[in-house]
Amino acid sequence: MTLSPDSQTLLLLCSHLGLSSASEYAPMTLKNWNPLAKKLLSISKRPADLLELDKEELKNLLEITEEEAERIAHLLQRSGTVAIELERLNSLGIDVITRADSDYPLRYKQRLKEAAPTILFYAGEKDLLGQPGIAVVGSRHLDDAGQACAEFVGNACGLSGLVLYSGGAKGVDSISMNAALTSRGTAVGILADSLEKSIRNPENRDAIYRGDLCLVTPYSPNAPFSVGTAMGRNKLIYTLADYAIVVASDAEKGGTWAGATEALKSKWLPVFVLDHPDMPEGNKMLLQKGALQFPHPFPEHHQELKSWLDKHTAEIKSDPCQLSLFY
Amino acid sequence: MDRTHTLTLLRKMIGEDKDFRPGQWEAIEAVASKKQRTLVVQRTGWGKSLVYFLATKLLREQGSGPTVLISPLLSLMRNQIEMAGRIGIRAFTINSANKQEWAAIEEALAKDECDLILISPERLNNEHFLKDVLPQISGRIGLFVVDEAHCISDWGHDFRPDYRRIVRIVQMLPRGIPVLGTTATANDRVVKDVQAQLGPGLTVHRGPLVRESLRLQNITLANQSERLAWLAENLPKFKGSGIIYCLTVADTERVTGWLKQKGFSAEAYHAGGNGTMDRPALEQAFLNNKIKILVATVALGMGFDKPDIDFVIHFQRPGSVVAYYQQVGRAGRAVEKSYGILLSGNEDDQIQNYFIESAFPSIDVTKDLLKVLENSEGLSLYEILSKVNISKSTAEKALKLLEVDGIVGQTWDNKVLYFRTPNPWRPDVERVNRVLDLRRSELAQMQEYVDHQGCLMKFLLNALDDPHPAACDRCANCKGRGFSGEVDQKMVIEAESFLKSDQIIIQPRVLWPFALFPDQKRKIPLEYQNTDGRSLCYYGDAGWGKLVQSGKYQEGHFSNELVKAAAHLIRDMWQPNPFPGWVTAIPSTRHPKLVAEFARRLADSLQIPFYPVIDRIREAPEQKTMQNSSKQAHNVFNTIRIVQTISHEPVLLVDDIIDSGWTLTMAGYLLKKQGSGLVYPFTLARATSRNANG
Repeated sequence: MTLSPDSQTLLLLCSHLGLSSASEYAPMTLKNWNPLAKKLLSISKRPADLLELDKEELKNLLEITEEEAERIAHLLQRSGTVAIELERLNSLGIDVITRADSDYPLRYKQRLKEAAPTILFYAGEKDLLGQPGIAVVGSRHLDDAGQACAEFVGNACGLSGLVLYSGGAKGVDSISMNAALTSRGTAVGILADSLEKSIRNPENRDAIYRGDLCLVTPYSPNAPFSVGTAMGRNKLIYTLADYAIVVASDAEKGGTWAGATEALKSKWLPVFVLDHPDMPEGNKMLLQKGALQFPHPFPEHHQELKSWLDKHTAEIKSDPCQLSLFY
Repeated sequence: MDRTHTLTLLRKMIGEDKDFRPGQWEAIEAVASKKQRTLVVQRTGWGKSLVYFLATKLLREQGSGPTVLISPLLSLMRNQIEMAGRIGIRAFTINSANKQEWAAIEEALAKDECDLILISPERLNNEHFLKDVLPQISGRIGLFVVDEAHCISDWGHDFRPDYRRIVRIVQMLPRGIPVLGTTATANDRVVKDVQAQLGPGLTVHRGPLVRESLRLQNITLANQSERLAWLAENLPKFKGSGIIYCLTVADTERVTGWLKQKGFSAEAYHAGGNGTMDRPALEQAFLNNKIKILVATVALGMGFDKPDIDFVIHFQRPGSVVAYYQQVGRAGRAVEKSYGILLSGNEDDQIQNYFIESAFPSIDVTKDLLKVLENSEGLSLYEILSKVNISKSTAEKALKLLEVDGIVGQTWDNKVLYFRTPNPWRPDVERVNRVLDLRRSELAQMQEYVDHQGCLMKFLLNALDDPHPAACDRCANCKGRGFSGEVDQKMVIEAESFLKSDQIIIQPRVLWPFALFPDQKRKIPLEYQNTDGRSLCYYGDAGWGKLVQSGKYQEGHFSNELVKAAAHLIRDMWQPNPFPGWVTAIPSTRHPKLVAEFARRLADSLQIPFYPVIDRIREAPEQKTMQNSSKQAHNVFNTIRIVQTISHEPVLLVDDIIDSGWTLTMAGYLLKKQGSGLVYPFTLARATSRNANG
């Protein structure tokens, strides 16, 4: 794989690749990168134009402080080691896509705007990212109805050619994903941690090999699990899909609740919540907050899922927005 | 960039009276000043290391980051590193043997107090290196050096899979980082291939390959005994030290044994014998002339640099002209007259063909391996071997190839685990065939060299695409004289008897193989282990080896000559003490009487009784079809048992051919459990192919 110079620059500035954990220079967060990207746009420069500059030149061009210039210069010097690290990731089957790539998922830019991750590491069929599909979310612990629903949606996706989006975790995620894959469908798992390890799993590996699965993460491919990354990842599940179905949520706590309320508030897409007599408290509260009802058991044939969702969708429009390659 | 300043540095390193060799300054300038991607093709001893040390120094003076030097020959670089220290270059090596220094090296890198870091190609995929070392360089790689760059090309005689990874890294390196490849042996085809792989921007600096001091000669002597005799007669004519190259581990041991018997200061050097040989110590002793003659396999490889080698003799013919040039080129770097003598004989083709055939793991083997890996998240090498019937070395070779192609990955969980990546695997039949065809044509070219009547140096230079090949006026063909190819018959007879009596020791196994008894310790209790044993010969080898081969597969009967030789070996040479009180044999239903009948005659000759106490419960597949320890032991286990009460005296345990040693180990274990005395294994022959390419 060859990276464009712009992508390479983003990788140097915004990823941990080839950076010592004890390094005094941290890679740029979105908060750091966005103003810089704006600045570059305003002076008609591209990220790659930074590659050849030394500290003084960076300082003058970008009108930044001495410290900032030093940090950027330091991060940009890593190209040699990043090349070596990238080679290793490639050999494991992991690739990179950045906001500077034309095939970066459009939906992230449209829906997340400045919050769209600068870098995505992925394994598998990249073209699945952003294809029509349904996001299934919910806690790891499920009641029978939740389990049946996760399986049903996964199957229905598989049989009707929709991508099943999930977080690739245990519980709802893996149940729905396996259901989609076993019915010869496709799935995307947006991981919060351990991409490197996940692709060693034989089922995942086979599905990737067949081109039926893409596992993707905005975090380092060997990042360990953390609550923070799991939370930060949630919006990346919603914003790739056409519909979201919340299978089970705690009330006012936990990742599912936080992600679902964020999605409702941002109006990225229609959010359904599994509705049944024994539903968890969180489900009820999400319905009160404006989520749509998803009945259990589903009243129609599974092939009708998509049209049923279309029919029951309130008008939810996303804001039009200006798109720029690396911004 | 200042030539004078660089010359001052050079003189500090190698002496005030020295100057640049032709091409050195140009190469340094290309890398350090023009930041070009450069390939330097110069003969060994020209001073390639000066180029990268001086370039490193100049780049560091300009404020560049440290040099990353990738070389398969780290252990041989101690002297050069010392030399670089004279101009203040702080060089560090990271390898598995210097773990205690890693922390200090990481710190030096973090403080920018390291100018050059040397690593092996394998290390580029090492987790510790990638996670802890590389980030300390903070990416500021100042210069990327690929030593022995011909290994990049699979047209090269010495293609190394790890170099494919280097190619991909170089392709991803930003243009601003200069890259320097160096090699001593690359013909046009290899240079073009290296150029194609490293990118079209690569400038080639190429110098003449001729060796002014070297006198070449070819002598064909069909039998090993004749060549041994030739060595004994002619070695005293050389004043200084030299190398004798053999094709197999067994041959280095045998030649060394003979030379020692004839009073020469000789040691064997190879990577066989479980790698227990202290090779750095041997190299050092040879460098200091404490050993006069090193009898080596190709394990004495690239870059070994002893300036005062008087002769390089090949006991057998190498596989290609490039390999030959490289090996013979170790002679005469700093002596006025040196000799490169190629002996060749009957066994050469057979050995070379074996090397060619086993160069690549077969597609079926690779498929089996992948199938096992595909059903798991990660397996250790031993877990793999317990599921796939292939030898350890074949498995390692196949895994290595799959790894650099991104089909298999490695991770660490208290041990190395191999796992299947999601990258697709397509067997590259065409590439494999292309390389095998190349190997065969190289072998044919080597035979042409042996038969060549014209100037031998010119033949080599032509084959290596030297820009200005000319007749040397020094080789035996140019001069019309050289060492005599005649050998004294008395010496030949002595060598023959040496070949026949050369003792081959059977080391007792001390561990059960992995996963044989999952809940038991792997150590075999001392009281149930065998004692040291003997084999009469190497199977199929000159000496007795051919007789064993024809006895087993043609006549179905081992000749009286073999009985006599075995009895002679046991009674007069080996002299086990206490002497065995009886003989027993490993039966085989495939050749029901073969071994038992031989053992009975051997017992008669030794004047002790023969008791056939061992029985096969069921017939197992032939042991040689079992490709690794684990499979072999499983194959033996439960197939033999002791059928009568037995003598408590020491016993001679006879088999025809020892392969893995598991049959003998298991039989010995059972015999001792039933109360026998010491168990002395004896076999007519030892199978050799498994470690032929040490």
